[in-house]
Amino acid sequence: MNNGAQGGGGDGPAGRPAGNWGLRVLARLDAAFNALYTWRLNPLYHSGALVVACLAVLLATGAYLLLFYRIGTPHESVAALDAQWWGGRWIRGLHRYSSALAVVAAALHGLRMFAQRRTWGPRTLAWVSGCVLFGILFVCGWTGYVMVWDAHGQALAVEGARLLDALPVFSEPLGRAFTGEAPLPDAFFFMNLFAHIALPVGLALFLWVHVSRLARARLVPPRPLLWGALVLLAIAAVAWPPPLGPKADLLRLPATAPTDWIYGFWLPATRAMAAGWVWVVGGSLAAAVFLVPALTKPRAKKAPPPSWVNPRYCTGCEQCFLDCPYEAISMVPRDDGRAGLVGRVDPAKCVSCGICAGSCAPMGVGPPGRTGRDQLAAVKDFLAETRPGPGDVAVVGCVHGAAGGVARKIFRVGCVGNLHTSVIEYLVRAGAGGVVVAACPPRDCRSREGVMWFDERVRNGREAELQERVDRRRIEVIYAGAGEGRVLRNGMERFRSRVRAMEAALAEREFAVGAECETEQAAPR
Amino acid sequence: MIRRAAAALVAVAMTAAVAWLSRVPSQLGGGAAAVIRLSWRVAGVSVEACRTRTAEELAALPAHMRSPQECQRGLAPFALDVAVGGRPVVRDTVFPKGARSDRPVYVHRDLPMQAGRAALSVRFEAVLTQDSGPADDDAPRYAWDGEVDLAPGDVALLTLDDGRLALRRR
Repeated sequence: MNNGAQGGGGDGPAGRPAGNWGLRVLARLDAAFNALYTWRLNPLYHSGALVVACLAVLLATGAYLLLFYRIGTPHESVAALDAQWWGGRWIRGLHRYSSALAVVAAALHGLRMFAQRRTWGPRTLAWVSGCVLFGILFVCGWTGYVMVWDAHGQALAVEGARLLDALPVFSEPLGRAFTGEAPLPDAFFFMNLFAHIALPVGLALFLWVHVSRLARARLVPPRPLLWGALVLLAIAAVAWPPPLGPKADLLRLPATAPTDWIYGFWLPATRAMAAGWVWVVGGSLAAAVFLVPALTKPRAKKAPPPSWVNPRYCTGCEQCFLDCPYEAISMVPRDDGRAGLVGRVDPAKCVSCGICAGSCAPMGVGPPGRTGRDQLAAVKDFLAETRPGPGDVAVVGCVHGAAGGVARKIFRVGCVGNLHTSVIEYLVRAGAGGVVVAACPPRDCRSREGVMWFDERVRNGREAELQERVDRRRIEVIYAGAGEGRVLRNGMERFRSRVRAMEAALAEREFAVGAECETEQAAPR
Repeated sequence: MIRRAAAALVAVAMTAAVAWLSRVPSQLGGGAAAVIRLSWRVAGVSVEACRTRTAEELAALPAHMRSPQECQRGLAPFALDVAVGGRPVVRDTVFPKGARSDRPVYVHRDLPMQAGRAALSVRFEAVLTQDSGPADDDAPRYAWDGEVDLAPGDVALLTLDDGRLALRRR
C-alpha cells in the first residue's frame, strides 16, 4: 500500500513516524500546553528563547546589584540590598528567580532537542555548544551564590574546593582557604566576582556559536509570553522574595538554610562520595551528553541524504538560498556556459529538511527522492490508490505532526515546507473536493521555518506559490502537533462538511442554471 | 474564559514551583553533629638514598659523569594517626604535594564527631625509611593530646601554631 510517504526530513529514517517514548511524552505535554496557551504562546516551543530572555534580565538586574555589592563585606552588602524594600530586595529576587528559570528552560530545551533527535550531523555544533552553555550557566550561578556568602554559598564553595582538590592541578589545596583559621581574603571575593561577571561573556560567545548555523535565529519569545514570564517572575520576587541565609561561618557547621535545588541539587549526592568518584561519575555523565550526536546519528543507510541542485532546472532565482533555515545553500557562478548563478548545497550544513524543494518553482533542488518532481510522481500513485471524489478530502501531512499517527491514507511529507504547491494543485485538479494540509504548529517545525514558508507560498504568493487558479476554499491548513490527533480529526471533519456543502451548492446552481435553460428552450417564441 | 483561567493558574503554579525550588530549606551540615578539622602545612623533610655504583656501571657512563655514588633525593612522607577516645579513626600516610612530590605536605580533612566530650590524640611524624636524611631524633614530629568538648554544630580546628599543633575554637 502506498501511503504517499515522501520521506522523513532530517530527523530520522525516511518516512518513519516518530515513535520513541520521549517523543510521546513530549507530544502529550505539547498538546496540553497548546490547549492552554495556543501554539503561538506555548512556552515549551520557546524554551530556548526564554533562556535568552532570562539572560537579558540577569544582565540588567545584575548591573544594578553590582552597584551595591562590596567584596569586603559580601553578606552585609547583600543584607543592605535586601533592606531596600523599594528596589534591591525585589531586584535580587528577580535576578535569582530568572537564573532558576534560565536553567529550567535550558534543560527543557535540551531534552526537547534530544527527544526530537535534533542532535547529530549539521546540528552537532549546536548540541555541543548548547551543552557548554548549560555548563557555563551553572558555574556562573554557583559563583553568584558564593558571592552572597551565606550558608548555601559556603556549602557550595567548600564542596567545590574539595572536588577541585581531587584534581592534580593545585600545589596547595584550595580547601585550606576555608578552614576558618583566618578570614577569607578580599581577593577571593574579587576573583569570584570577576568570574561571575566574566562568565556571561563566555555565555554570549557560545550563544553566538550555538545559533551560528541558523538563518534568522529566534532569540526573543513572542511578546505576550516574554512579558507574561517577566511579570510573573517580578510578582514572585515582590511577593515572595528569596530569603538571605545566615552568614557563612567556617567554624560552625551550617544549620538548616534556604538552598537552591536547581543549582545545588547535586550537593547531597557528592558530599556522600569520595571526590575522585564524583569526577568519575560526573565525567561519565558529561561524556555521555557530549557524545549524544554520535550516539543518536542514524546509520549511513538510514540517514536522509542532503539536498542537491540540478543545474539544468536551476534558474538562479535565489529562492532556495533565501528560504534555507540552515544557510546550507549558496549561489555561485554557473560553470555550464549559461549566464547567471546556480545554487550549491553544502552537505555539511544540510539537515535534509527539503524546504528548498518546496521553494523551487521549476523543481530543480531538493533531497533525492523528495524534490517537487518526485512528489508529483508519488502523488499520481497516491491518487490512483485513493481516488478522491468531489465530496472527498485528500490529506497531505507532515510525518512529525498529528498526520504521522493517523491511520488513514495520507500523502506524507517530511515537512510541509518540503511540499511543493504543485502537489496541492494536482490533487484539486484531479477531482478531490478539498485538500487538508496537516502541518505541525509553526513554532514546533522540525525544519524551523517549513510551516512558515509553506503558509507564505499558499497565502501570500511567496515564490513557488500556489497558483491563483486554485480555489483557496478547497485548501485547509490545520496545525496539529504529534499529540493532537483530535485537533486534526475535528478540523478535517469540519472541512469535509464545508466541502460537501460547497459541492451541494455548486450542484444546485448547475441544476438551477440547467433548468432555466430548459425552461427558456421550451417557452413559445 | 475557563481556558484562560486555567492557563493563568498553571503559569502561576509553574512560577511558584521555580521560586520554591530556588529556596528549599535544607540541612547543609552534611549530617555530622560536629567536626574536628585537621588543617596544617609543613615543609618537606629532605631525604637522600645513595648506593655505590659497580665498576661496570661506572665504565658504562661518560667520563664526566662517573660519580661513585648514585643518589635519589626527595621529600619524606608523613604518617598521620588520629585516635578519638583511644580508638584509632585515621591512620594514613600523607605525601608531599606536587607531581614530583617536591611541594610542602598538607593535611586538610574533617572528622565527623558526636557532640560532647572526647579524648583526642593526634600524631604527625615524618616517615624516614631511607639511608640518609636527618637523624631519627631530629625528624619532625607533631602531636596533640587532650580533651575536646564539642557542642552541636561546632567546628574545632587543629592547626599548627608557632610550630606546635594547637586547637582553635570559635
